[in-house]
Amino acid sequence: MLHANSAVRIFVPLLSFIILAAIYVARQRSLFIRRIYGLTAIEEAVGRATEMGRPMLGVPGLGGIDIVTLQAVAILAYVARIGCRYRTPLLVPVADTTLLPLMQETLQDVYVSEGKPELFDPENVRFLSNRQFSFAAAVAGTILRERTAACFYFGLFYAEALIFSEVGQQIGAIQIAGTPSTLQIPFFIATCDYVIIGDEFYAASAYLTREPVLLGSIIGQDLCKLLLILGVLVGIVVASIWPIYLPLIKSFLLGAG
Amino acid sequence: MGLWSGFFHPVHSKTLLALYIAGVLFACLVLFLVLQLIPVPARRHVIRFVTFLGGLFYALEFFLPVAKSGPHADQNVLTPYTTAFGNISQAIVGFTIGLGVINLFQVHLGRLVKRSSDAMFSLAFFLSFLAMFLVSLWHHSHPNALSRALNHILFDGLLQSLDATMFSLIAFYIASAAYRAFRVRSLEATILLVTALVVMLGQIPVGTYLTHTFPAPLRVENIRNWILTQANVAVIRAIAFGLDIGALAMSLRIWLGLERGNYFD
Repeated sequence: MLHANSAVRIFVPLLSFIILAAIYVARQRSLFIRRIYGLTAIEEAVGRATEMGRPMLGVPGLGGIDIVTLQAVAILAYVARIGCRYRTPLLVPVADTTLLPLMQETLQDVYVSEGKPELFDPENVRFLSNRQFSFAAAVAGTILRERTAACFYFGLFYAEALIFSEVGQQIGAIQIAGTPSTLQIPFFIATCDYVIIGDEFYAASAYLTREPVLLGSIIGQDLCKLLLILGVLVGIVVASIWPIYLPLIKSFLLGAG
Repeated sequence: MGLWSGFFHPVHSKTLLALYIAGVLFACLVLFLVLQLIPVPARRHVIRFVTFLGGLFYALEFFLPVAKSGPHADQNVLTPYTTAFGNISQAIVGFTIGLGVINLFQVHLGRLVKRSSDAMFSLAFFLSFLAMFLVSLWHHSHPNALSRALNHILFDGLLQSLDATMFSLIAFYIASAAYRAFRVRSLEATILLVTALVVMLGQIPVGTYLTHTFPAPLRVENIRNWILTQANVAVIRAIAFGLDIGALAMSLRIWLGLERGNYFD
């Protein structure tokens, strides 16, 4: 099993404290968050699907129930909410069976809260396959058969990402993607109209809901990143001027638990 | 602690195992009924509390100091229970596979009944499902030469080959995606094109041959190496820092029940 070493025991609680403190401060006053184009474009994509009278597709990735997929589900729930207002259905293919009841419940809640429970079709959430390329083939087939006008890819993706995003590109669907899988980001950039990169993915629920708690968390994340940048700068200075201290720093950061 | 250790150990007596399974099923039924009976806001509190307990267990297991040596080296007081908690998760996942199969049947049976234009694909699904299910069941319960051969044809001969076919399609998709990305339309696209050209030339013998008379820092394989190990790694690490901090923040919000919006309310 992997266990924390001294550096992790200091830094993780410190970063957690900064994030929680920022959330506490955010509850007291309103905060500004910059525009994220990929997320702003969601309404435009839903509007286009509505004008064309075609369904939308939302893929929550290959992951099971983890924080990445939970964030993806939150974003797709927002897409479904906008789609529900315009009576545009969202098809959600899933690759993990644990996600099926969660996704169905979430979408049902969205339709009920929008006052249109009759529009919810449980078969719009489909378990296709838990095998990577079988899932990719099935998603590509769904895009081609249903002629989806807007495709949303949020979550954990691997090599299969390019297969269905390229198919979506070929049929002219407007595509928005976001993933923490850094290796897949270039493929999404080549095939999608909008891509949210890096920690913008985790900022999505805050950006879309504007909840003070979530906005505070984003501010906390930025403060933590500033701390890390400071650490990198200190590391550069130490490595350049006092290399004698490098072994000491390395043993602290990489030492056993 | 002794009672808990015994509780999580494998049971070998068949009677005791049957009792355990009956007890677990009864406990699950009671838990299900209780969750259904209590009002939705209270149910959310229960879920938040269970989430907090689960998170607390794994956080403590990760942060508590471990023994440096001895029979329990690299373990702390909670480490032995991680397998049991992992097994609980696996059991829950096992239940949901049934849900997935039911969902597939609902979607495809509906298409067959309606005789829609895609009905033949649904028929193919049922035939494939039945063939794989029956052969696999036969092979695992009464293995013989015929069942082994059928299983080999269906799994290695068909499924694995179809997977490999889909994977190989990526090469063509990369080509068409790269063509679009590398078209010289802006300064950024031009930089991307030149960088990709250098990296690709540095990867092949022809590229190395073209610049072998140049001073070492100007040889294409060294420039490629610098791009991949210096410029590229710096950017990837910067993104990774942001992602990891974001994951920490999201984990904290879910663990402490602070997440808001959509299904978290």
